[in-house]
Amino acid sequence: MSSSILERAKTLLRDPSGVLTQDLVRSPGGFGLGQVPTKLKPDAVTTSVCGFCSTGCGLDIHLREGRAISLSPATDYPVNLGIACPKGWEALTPLESEDRATAPLMRDARGKLAETDWETAIQTFVDRMKAIQSEHGKDSVAFISTGQIPSEEMALLGALAKFGMGMVHGDGNTRQCMATAVVAYKQAFGFDAPPYTYKDFEESDVLVFVGANPCIAHPIMWERVCKNQRNPKIIVIDPRRTETAMAAALHVPLRPKSDLRLFYGLANLLIEREWIDREFIEAHTLGFEEFRRHVARFTLETTAQDTGIAAEQLEQLASAIHQGQRVSFWWTMGVNQSHEGVRVAQSIINLALITGNIGKPGTGANSITGQCNAMGSRLFSNTTNLLGGHDFTNVAHRNKIADVLGIDATVIPDRNSWAYDQIMEGVHRGTIKGLWIIATNTAHSWINQADVPDLLGKLDFLVVQDMYRNTETAEHADLVLPAAGWAEKDGTFINSERRIGLIKKVARAPGDALADFHIFKLIAEAWGCGAMFERWESPEAVFEILKSVSAGQPCDITGIEGYEMLESHRGIQWPLPKGQPVKPRSERRLFANGRFFHADGKARFLFEEPQALPEPTSRRYPFLLLTGRGSSSQWHTQTRTSKSAVLRKLYAEEPYVEISPDDADRLGIQPHSWVTVRSPRGSLKARAFVTRVVRPGQVFVPMHYAKTNQLTFPAFDPYSRQPAYKAASVSVEPLGRA
Amino acid sequence: MESVVDGSVFTGAQETEKKNKVALPLLGKIQQAQRSQADLTAVERFARVHEQQSKSSGSPASSTQQPPAQARYYRNLIPLTKPGAGEQYAFEVDLDVCTGCKACVTACHRMNGLEDGEAWRSVGLLHGGTSSEPVQQTVTTACHHCLDPACMNGCPVGAYEKSSETGIVKHLDDQCIGCQYCMLTCPYEVPQFSERKGIVRKCDMCSDRLAEGEAPACVQACPNEAISIRVVSTQSVLEDAQGDSFLPGAPSPGITAPTTTYKTNKPQPKNLLPADFFSVRPAHTHRPLVIMLVLTQLSVGAFCVQSLSAAFGPLHAWVALGTGLLALAASVLHLGRPQYAFRAFIGLRTSWLSREIIAFGMFAPLAAAYALTLWKPEWFGDIPFAAALLGPELGFAVAGVGLLGVFCSVMLYHVTRRVFWSAGRTAFRFYMTAAVLGIATTVCTTAITAAWTSSEASAAALIRQLGAALMLATAIKLAGDATLFLHLRDKQFGDLKRSAVLMTGELWRWTFFRFAAGAIGGVLVPGALLLSATPTQWPPVVAASAASLVFCLIGEIFERSLFFAAVSAPRMPGTIGSAAR
Repeated sequence: MSSSILERAKTLLRDPSGVLTQDLVRSPGGFGLGQVPTKLKPDAVTTSVCGFCSTGCGLDIHLREGRAISLSPATDYPVNLGIACPKGWEALTPLESEDRATAPLMRDARGKLAETDWETAIQTFVDRMKAIQSEHGKDSVAFISTGQIPSEEMALLGALAKFGMGMVHGDGNTRQCMATAVVAYKQAFGFDAPPYTYKDFEESDVLVFVGANPCIAHPIMWERVCKNQRNPKIIVIDPRRTETAMAAALHVPLRPKSDLRLFYGLANLLIEREWIDREFIEAHTLGFEEFRRHVARFTLETTAQDTGIAAEQLEQLASAIHQGQRVSFWWTMGVNQSHEGVRVAQSIINLALITGNIGKPGTGANSITGQCNAMGSRLFSNTTNLLGGHDFTNVAHRNKIADVLGIDATVIPDRNSWAYDQIMEGVHRGTIKGLWIIATNTAHSWINQADVPDLLGKLDFLVVQDMYRNTETAEHADLVLPAAGWAEKDGTFINSERRIGLIKKVARAPGDALADFHIFKLIAEAWGCGAMFERWESPEAVFEILKSVSAGQPCDITGIEGYEMLESHRGIQWPLPKGQPVKPRSERRLFANGRFFHADGKARFLFEEPQALPEPTSRRYPFLLLTGRGSSSQWHTQTRTSKSAVLRKLYAEEPYVEISPDDADRLGIQPHSWVTVRSPRGSLKARAFVTRVVRPGQVFVPMHYAKTNQLTFPAFDPYSRQPAYKAASVSVEPLGRA
Repeated sequence: MESVVDGSVFTGAQETEKKNKVALPLLGKIQQAQRSQADLTAVERFARVHEQQSKSSGSPASSTQQPPAQARYYRNLIPLTKPGAGEQYAFEVDLDVCTGCKACVTACHRMNGLEDGEAWRSVGLLHGGTSSEPVQQTVTTACHHCLDPACMNGCPVGAYEKSSETGIVKHLDDQCIGCQYCMLTCPYEVPQFSERKGIVRKCDMCSDRLAEGEAPACVQACPNEAISIRVVSTQSVLEDAQGDSFLPGAPSPGITAPTTTYKTNKPQPKNLLPADFFSVRPAHTHRPLVIMLVLTQLSVGAFCVQSLSAAFGPLHAWVALGTGLLALAASVLHLGRPQYAFRAFIGLRTSWLSREIIAFGMFAPLAAAYALTLWKPEWFGDIPFAAALLGPELGFAVAGVGLLGVFCSVMLYHVTRRVFWSAGRTAFRFYMTAAVLGIATTVCTTAITAAWTSSEASAAALIRQLGAALMLATAIKLAGDATLFLHLRDKQFGDLKRSAVLMTGELWRWTFFRFAAGAIGGVLVPGALLLSATPTQWPPVVAASAASLVFCLIGEIFERSLFFAAVSAPRMPGTIGSAAR
């Protein structure tokens, strides 16, 4: 007794291990995890693919009584090898936010969004949409889907909207990131088929990154580059001296949007010097002669002049491509989000084709995708393509799909859908009266966004289905449907290297929120087309349907037995036709045999005259505005990443604009002072970050700030209809010291 | 027509019926969906598979022997052997492969189960170079586990220990009282305060992971293997600390001898600056400390004036004592865990905070005794030895201990190595505050005493003398404070210029109040008193002297708030838009 009092008196003075110390104690976590905080020790672990970007990292979810309590990157997942970027580490945090939509919200008589029950919400949805359709025609209702939900949900949405509800027009936010790559591949290879596997990062001698900043936007892909043991030469083609450009042996700071001229010039140089693979061209391509003639006039001198890159550097670039045994080309949004992005992407593909850098380890013309399930959307969203990469306008395809689904072929639209911008234009013209937006934030992300509130206001009925009740878009909605998020539902994603991976339900959705899958099924029931989707009873059942629709296509996945196989193999890349063996954790690339997906097996050269910038700079707006990723802790419109306190610490909360010291001095702009960035469409108040990372005459603003897209210019690639976010003319002026 | 009407009626009825039919199953389907949504069983199917896999290669219980799966990727990033004599563990950062993904920060947060927003690593950005060769360099940073840790030296309660075996500087969370002084002494902003827990916490290099041969969270998490743990010799760390080549934009390594090595093979241009170099933002104001400092100085100043003459009576001593006690109470409010404040003497050997607390801890009872002797001398006259207290020596002792306490306050800020808080500047500030407020208080108590006792001529003369002294002291103080603005013309955007920019920019209101209140209370009002004090009209003199004191006090409170808010601290490079803490 007295000794315990003495002990207590002692700890009053010196206390090396009380409750505060216990709070941080770590102990072995089991399951191969190493030490974990004792308070977060799991009783089971399961792997789920991350729900942010298209890298598709495996995350080990730490469970206690079936629920997620923490996570760590999965070591044995062949994508990320036990590493994650900040978003992955914080993937569970946004689920807990106060901003989650926990009940359906309906605009009441006073114009306020008020909570309601699911029955009323679903019935209202059906009544209003049907009323609009009966007054204005079936195609007066459209939907905007997303790259953020599993393929099974996308397919159900696409099928419900088009086959069940009679909609014609539906597109996804993937239009904003991947459409260009899709069209480029489709035309060149005969199918939308990114040829690479991440192992190629490790197996290249020369890696050429075009309009890509993987250090920040895809850090796990950069991890794979760092694992390359071949002492590779890294070349970065980007107007800014990005983090990736810093890590490169050669940075080519070309004039913005002079990329098409650059690659034509390079092709010409390679052809002139006979640094090409004649044998490959002969055997596996079509149209080389026309291409050679086309690029002939892009001489070294004109290319140097057009791109602002010295002739010596162009020669360096060409000779690096020539000398590399294995050269790989990687592009991201700098190419895709351009007024002539498809042709730029194809000019990169052309370089790979003429040098024979495709189908072999460490090679390829490789598009790095954006969203976690962008590729699921490309194959199975039933928007641009008919399910499984089929063609709406092809009667044989329609019959095939009708057959597989057991539906009447006449319910399948025989015309293509409008693209995102055309749907928005339809809203503007009043031909689209009802709009259903799922898991995307149009009012933030749409180009020339200043118009969006007006546009959404023109609709008779706007439904927003989202995890959060207060996204910029949800605030305009007549009806908000509360959706469960990643980790609150099952399904599959397809990553950049065509790997299909599982996501799992490891957390309870808050309140009345339901998985998009359930919401779609309920709408189908209430619409009266529930019978059509009887077989679509669970995501797993839908996966079987997706397998069936893929049969015979380049993306054939009939060889995947089911979810268990995806789990045990740590994701499986398409294609995997029935009967083809595959090893767990395998990494496979396409075109090893040189056969492409066109009927003749040959790849096509596609090329065109470079076009002028849609909005050139002027005396009034003398700067070219570049936009892009701000930091690795930010994701798109920030509806999720802003919900994590740790992620918030890692980016600038106030908008900022990068401007060169030369321009800042000339305009009397002090470092860190407030400035106004103005375009003919809108303005943005931002801090000046005076830095040489950006070149004179250009400014850079991260895309994550709500006002950034009030500045961007609505130009679109004519083939992919992808918006050109990365070129608008703006002015910058000091706002006085704050 | 009729048939159409009939038809529509018929259809309408049919539709209502259909609706009901649809509605009922819909409700059922909704309930079914909700049940299915709440069901997490599908996961268990796969979790079990996973568990079995890990069991087949050794059950979780035996996983302490089994190296973690990730070990194969980080094996080369941690030392094979423990540090020997004259060696310790240290972080090594390869700047050439740190590309700013910041995974290390989030991994630290999650793998250590930290609070919302808490992480013991951060990533900054340096940039510069020329137009043709621009440079940007991201920099990951955590605790440098210094040879001479300023956090540990400053801690008043011994809540830090530096392991003699590993060199890891560890914070003892349960020992901490939440005074946050380590946050001021550490040049690298390493310790972080948790409002919820009332303590600071910091990086311990994941010492228990290292002890088991596992890599710290940040080392495991870096995709590019930029962070590693190495064994370094303390001698070489000391040698490196002599120069200034720790990292561009970072505080001088001479302060604490940080053990982290930043290595690079790239040339670093001279103009490499932190991305937040030009970002000047107010720091934390520490309101309880403002009150504590100003009032202790008032109290010490008042006792000093009192010790000079027997003319000042017990009222003055009581006011001075009361203010002093109020100040000490305020200082306790600053603590995250005030209930453990009594531990504060433990750090006496190294911590100026402990010394300050002890000095003022002695000052208070001495001052109380002194006040008592002035109030009731008769209580002491008859007690043997106690009569000795009645001489002027006790007053000198109170003043002396008080001045010593203020000296400790000065040193406490000086050792943080902030230029704005250097010994000379801070001593001037603190002692001149004691002078201004001590005199202003004396004017006030003298006037009140005179009004109370109706003593006349002698009091009026005293007030005149004191008023003149107050005007002189205030003039010196204000002029001294204003010298900071000379730094607005500095070529380099240094620490003092930042403070001046803050005081004339974002904090200009505080600056205005500081000078306006000081001038009114210390110059205008006493000036008016000098011209008009007549022994016949005590009430206006009392009112004026009270006003003078209040204005002086307001002025000094704003001065001290600026002392905290406008300071520019040494720190590691921050990012675009990162705020000074």
